[in-house]
Amino acid sequence: MTKRSYFEYINYVLLAMVGILTLYPFLFIFILSLNEGTDTMRGGIVIFPRAFTLINYKFMLANSTLLKAYRITILRTLVGTVGSVFITALVAYGLSDPKLPGRSILMIYLLIPMLFSGGLIPYYLQLRNLRLINTFWVYIVPGLFNIWNCIVMKTFFQGIPESLKDAARIDGANEFQILFRVVFPVSLPMFAAISLFVAVGHWNDWFSGAFFVYDPKLVPVQTYLQQLMTQEMEGFRASAPSVSDMIKFREYSTITSLSLRMAAVCIGTLPIICLYPFLQRYFIKGVLIGSLKD
Amino acid sequence: MGDMKVKMRISERQGNKLLISLKEIIKPSELNYILKNLWKFRWHYIMILPGIVLLFLFAYMPIMGVQIAFKEYDLTAGIWKSPWVGLKNFYFLQDPYFWHTVKNTLAITIYRLMFGFPIPIIFALLLNEVRNEKFKKVIQTVSYLPHFVSWIVVAYILTSMLALDTGVVNFILEKLGFSQIFFLGEPKYFRAIVVISAIWKEMGWSSIIYLAALANINPELYEAALIDGAGRFARIRYITIPGIMPTVGIILILSMPGLLSAGYEQIYPLVNPANMSVSEVLDVYIIRLGLVSAQYSISAAIGLILGIVQMLLVLTVNFLIKKSGGVGLW
Repeated sequence: MTKRSYFEYINYVLLAMVGILTLYPFLFIFILSLNEGTDTMRGGIVIFPRAFTLINYKFMLANSTLLKAYRITILRTLVGTVGSVFITALVAYGLSDPKLPGRSILMIYLLIPMLFSGGLIPYYLQLRNLRLINTFWVYIVPGLFNIWNCIVMKTFFQGIPESLKDAARIDGANEFQILFRVVFPVSLPMFAAISLFVAVGHWNDWFSGAFFVYDPKLVPVQTYLQQLMTQEMEGFRASAPSVSDMIKFREYSTITSLSLRMAAVCIGTLPIICLYPFLQRYFIKGVLIGSLKD
Repeated sequence: MGDMKVKMRISERQGNKLLISLKEIIKPSELNYILKNLWKFRWHYIMILPGIVLLFLFAYMPIMGVQIAFKEYDLTAGIWKSPWVGLKNFYFLQDPYFWHTVKNTLAITIYRLMFGFPIPIIFALLLNEVRNEKFKKVIQTVSYLPHFVSWIVVAYILTSMLALDTGVVNFILEKLGFSQIFFLGEPKYFRAIVVISAIWKEMGWSSIIYLAALANINPELYEAALIDGAGRFARIRYITIPGIMPTVGIILILSMPGLLSAGYEQIYPLVNPANMSVSEVLDVYIIRLGLVSAQYSISAAIGLILGIVQMLLVLTVNFLIKKSGGVGLW
């Protein structure tokens, strides 16, 4: 073997190991969620479930708190993503015209918060001041405008040939019409990428649900998962369907707090993992758009 | 508004004489021109307005709300009417516990910078050497996946994999003849756990930007090097690495604020009484003091110092990189 092929050989093995080590933790929580909880306690589960069961999922899916949390998560992801991408795109388009009077002042207005923020506590007090605390809107309104996404969009809009817009202007279209009929249609791939980032951000946010909301009915899935982390069996039983609803008593008795937690995490994560292979090309495109320097 | 127009005119005339008297700027004909120009762009301003309002509400108001750090927060009076108390809230600077959290923060973030910063670069370089496009694509796709799950899920993965008896790590340790370790309960493992899981989550994702930089390197450079008889490592050393240096510099600047923030989203779910001595980092401390114990003024004061130091770090590193001939943020 030459020196070069040695390197290549090692490189392939190394990267394959990275791939396996990246995926394995997901596999591990997945098999634990499919294994009987009491059997898991014996230890030694590595690759396959030893005592396969779906009872953990049945139990968690009958849990009304989890389903309510799911509804909040889906609702905030939809409303938050559409709202944020739309508003941010409007602002980005407005700023994309280099002839706009006062543009440099507006850009400075945009850049200052990127460099310095008031910090968490003044932010929280402002949310309280605006009466957003403990409402659904605390998930939506503060994120309606995103500076980073705005700059990415602005850069993208500036790359659209002026001649396209001018043609519409000659036809007497105003800027809103140009935006909706000319600019938006050619920007769809970029919108797809940014929407996905925003949506994933909404889906994964546990912090605002934990500290900006007190009403348990408003808690999203990730916050619910965070609360489950320290939950013991009694807590699960409290929000559980009655035993008579459960299929078999033996199966029911295999449940442990660990197995239920694992099922809950999988329920909270599976949508992203299942959608991921289809969406990942947009993600990558999005990062590349973002890396273009203004 | 009028003031703004004046400023705009001045900025447009940069390079001309700076001493333009107000009278000269607001000649009736020119005012007319300015207004006409503003009117021409009225749709643009309408589009920008929501952004200005939202930034004002959720970025500038909190920045002005920083004054609470110099006041004694009164629940009924609110931020603006609470009484001033000078620097009283900054006594935390003499509190050993505060410095303890600073130490905990730096211990995590410096390790994270030392390992988490170069690893995505190395990963990108290794991927770049792979000729089999399909293999490369699969590894890339897999490596981005953890970026898209929440830190809560990461916490679950860690607690389950590192658990006593049921965890796979302790299972392997036992098979190898070691005794089990309660990883999350022992302070000495906490930092390693945080840094390794952060690398696991973000390594692939952070490498994208370097892969893009690598793809932008002129292939003629490699061809020329091949003709000159440069080996693989010489090509990496003299073409690839210099080619991605500007990107490395920018990412380094952008990672500076992270030096003082160990990441509450990651660490908060992992805190337990057993590892408190190392897991109490600055941003977790601010959350516990401010959001949990409602000590708004003191935690805002800590946040203010944090924000200022983070800003200075960005400015300093940006300055140093530009000074040494690299590409800065601005």
